Amino acid sequence: MIRKSGWLVFIIFFAALLALVYLVAGPAIRLGMVYSLEKVVGAEVNISKVSLELAPLALRINNLQITDAAKPTHNSLSFGHARAALEVWPALLGYYVIDELTVDGLQYGAERSSEGKVYRVPGVEGEKVDIAQLLQVDLPDADELIARANLQTPAKAEALQQLAATEQQQLKTLQTQLPTKDSLAQYQADIKALTDSKVANAADLAAKAQQLQQLKDKLNSEKAKVEQVKQQLTHSKESLQRAVEELKAASLADYAKVQQLANLSDGGLAGISQILLGDVWGARVAQLQTLYELAKPYIPEGGISSGQGSETTEPEVVLPNRILPLPGQPYPDFWVKTARVNWLIGGGEATIALQDITAQHALINSATKFSLDVKQLPQLAAFNLSGDFAVLQQMVTNLNWQLDGLNLQPLTLGKGDTALDLAAGLISSSGKLNLTDNQITQQASVVLNAANFNSTGNKYLQQLANLLNQQQQIPLNIATTGLISAPEVSIRSSLDKILGDALLGEAKQKVAAYQAELQAKLNSQLQTGLAGQQDWAALLTQQDGELADISGSIENMLSAKMADVKDQAKDKLKDKLLDKLGGGN
Amino acid sequence: MLTMLAKILKVLNSQASPWQIGWAIALGLFAGILPLGLLTLLIVLIVCLLTVNLSTFIVVWGLTEGLMLLFATPLENLTWQYAQNDTLLQVLANTETLQLLHLHHTLTLGAFVLGAVLLLPVAWLSKALVMQYRTRVMSSVQKWKLTQMLKASKLFALYEKLN
Repeated sequence: MIRKSGWLVFIIFFAALLALVYLVAGPAIRLGMVYSLEKVVGAEVNISKVSLELAPLALRINNLQITDAAKPTHNSLSFGHARAALEVWPALLGYYVIDELTVDGLQYGAERSSEGKVYRVPGVEGEKVDIAQLLQVDLPDADELIARANLQTPAKAEALQQLAATEQQQLKTLQTQLPTKDSLAQYQADIKALTDSKVANAADLAAKAQQLQQLKDKLNSEKAKVEQVKQQLTHSKESLQRAVEELKAASLADYAKVQQLANLSDGGLAGISQILLGDVWGARVAQLQTLYELAKPYIPEGGISSGQGSETTEPEVVLPNRILPLPGQPYPDFWVKTARVNWLIGGGEATIALQDITAQHALINSATKFSLDVKQLPQLAAFNLSGDFAVLQQMVTNLNWQLDGLNLQPLTLGKGDTALDLAAGLISSSGKLNLTDNQITQQASVVLNAANFNSTGNKYLQQLANLLNQQQQIPLNIATTGLISAPEVSIRSSLDKILGDALLGEAKQKVAAYQAELQAKLNSQLQTGLAGQQDWAALLTQQDGELADISGSIENMLSAKMADVKDQAKDKLKDKLLDKLGGGN
Repeated sequence: MLTMLAKILKVLNSQASPWQIGWAIALGLFAGILPLGLLTLLIVLIVCLLTVNLSTFIVVWGLTEGLMLLFATPLENLTWQYAQNDTLLQVLANTETLQLLHLHHTLTLGAFVLGAVLLLPVAWLSKALVMQYRTRVMSSVQKWKLTQMLKASKLFALYEKLN
């Protein structure tokens, strides 16, 4: 059962395996890296050599170039050589602990010796962040500003117009039911005919009294109709008055809003810099969402439950991981203890130093720290960036920066009629940023020095360019809070009022014209809506008075004539009785 | 492919015991399921030390490695789902030897459990099939034109010579 040469066979097999790994590992890793990177970037990737060093265990990559798919004559990223030294014992346990990672000659956008192949043409929406693009905004015109103000007046004016039309229609319907002058005259004539006629006997008297009563009832009915129309009129007047007041209030509120937007009055809610740069800065800040999405699988969902120490907290990891979540994991899945990147930038060099790169910061009880220090580049006096990043119960990122004397390349803000050229300028900026999970808090100050603006656009922009050129400094204070996907950006500048007065001169004129037009419309609507009703009111009052008069006179006539008729009837009856009695004596 | 077929036929028709072939298939399967590491080396050592048929072991190991390109991800997901056991994780965390064998790696643990479970049944089943083949099929296969063609081929002659 036991093979006598078993150990020998095994030793030969093991030695062959080691030799194979040593000889083939480098080229195999190189092929794997080229294949994977080309698949990701969609363009040619070149790596001169990948070699494995055994003592100490390290991987070395020489001359990596990744072609820029959008510009194949240049690389998107390249470096001279990189070396990662692995710790042996953690590697035997299956953890990638890199003691030291160095990258020399890192470059973005370096020219290639020969044009690289492109396998997949990039989309137009490639996300590149550069200052020119950051400032590439369209200046809003007056119409857009008015649109942004979300005015209420047009809606209220429309509502008033509709209300007036409805009320007038109702009044017209009621008008047809009112007694005409002719019908009132007819009533008078009928009554007169009845009262002037002689009463022949008691039966005639009763018939006439009944006819008179019918006429009286008709008159009362006409009076009731007039009363109803009067009530409707009062109601219409009240409704229209209310609508007019609402319209006036909306008009006033809108004017105040436009004033604030156009920075016509002090203490406006939104300054011009907010209008110009607010959305742009918000969109840039929202790009940090990518960082959060990358770290999200590592962030525990529930946070620390009360009464539990840090040792007993187990992250509730949902995605399958290469390594099982051991209670006392000795090393993170991957951990780069120190990294140094030598970055060739803008005709000079910058060094990026990083410490403790991992996604499992709780295991090493330390955050990932990074710093970048750049000095005396041809286009930049100094730039310092430092910060830390940790995925614990929450993802926390802190970032501080100080930028001095960044020489701006000529660029154009806006386009067409609202184009503003910035021929030269120096930007300085400092600020800090905190990102906790997907909540951002950021403060930054940006100062544009020695700016030289030109404009061939409309007179307001020329006026603005002159004003800006007169300023020694153009300061901006930018604050961002809230969700990174929808941040609230506040940009303030002491120049807001000057800028607003200049840039929004056209807007102010349009707003004033709009106000005048609105006032004219309002007056016309009040005339059609209210003035018409006043005539109606007078007519109704007159009709009501006439009816009351007629009714009153009829009452008097009726009671007088009725009494007269009764007296006549009494006298006739008395005479008849006396004749009969006298003839009997 | 022809070489592999010739190898299999040669082993099946040889004097090698059915158990040697059965264990070679089972251990080849085990080594193939496992990601390359210390556990694989241990299996290779066992195969070298015991009189297990080497040719069969190497062929089955190679075939299983190919199959694992398809089944590694589902096996890893399944292991992750069932390995969230406090006692198991505690044992793995406290035993450095198990970590050295990479049993705290999701795929390695799943492959180890699957390989260990399949080891005996596969060895027994392979032995039984080899015995059945030798008693019932071998004489017919020897008469097949394909077998005779294979035996007559230069490649087979070269293989015979080298062995």
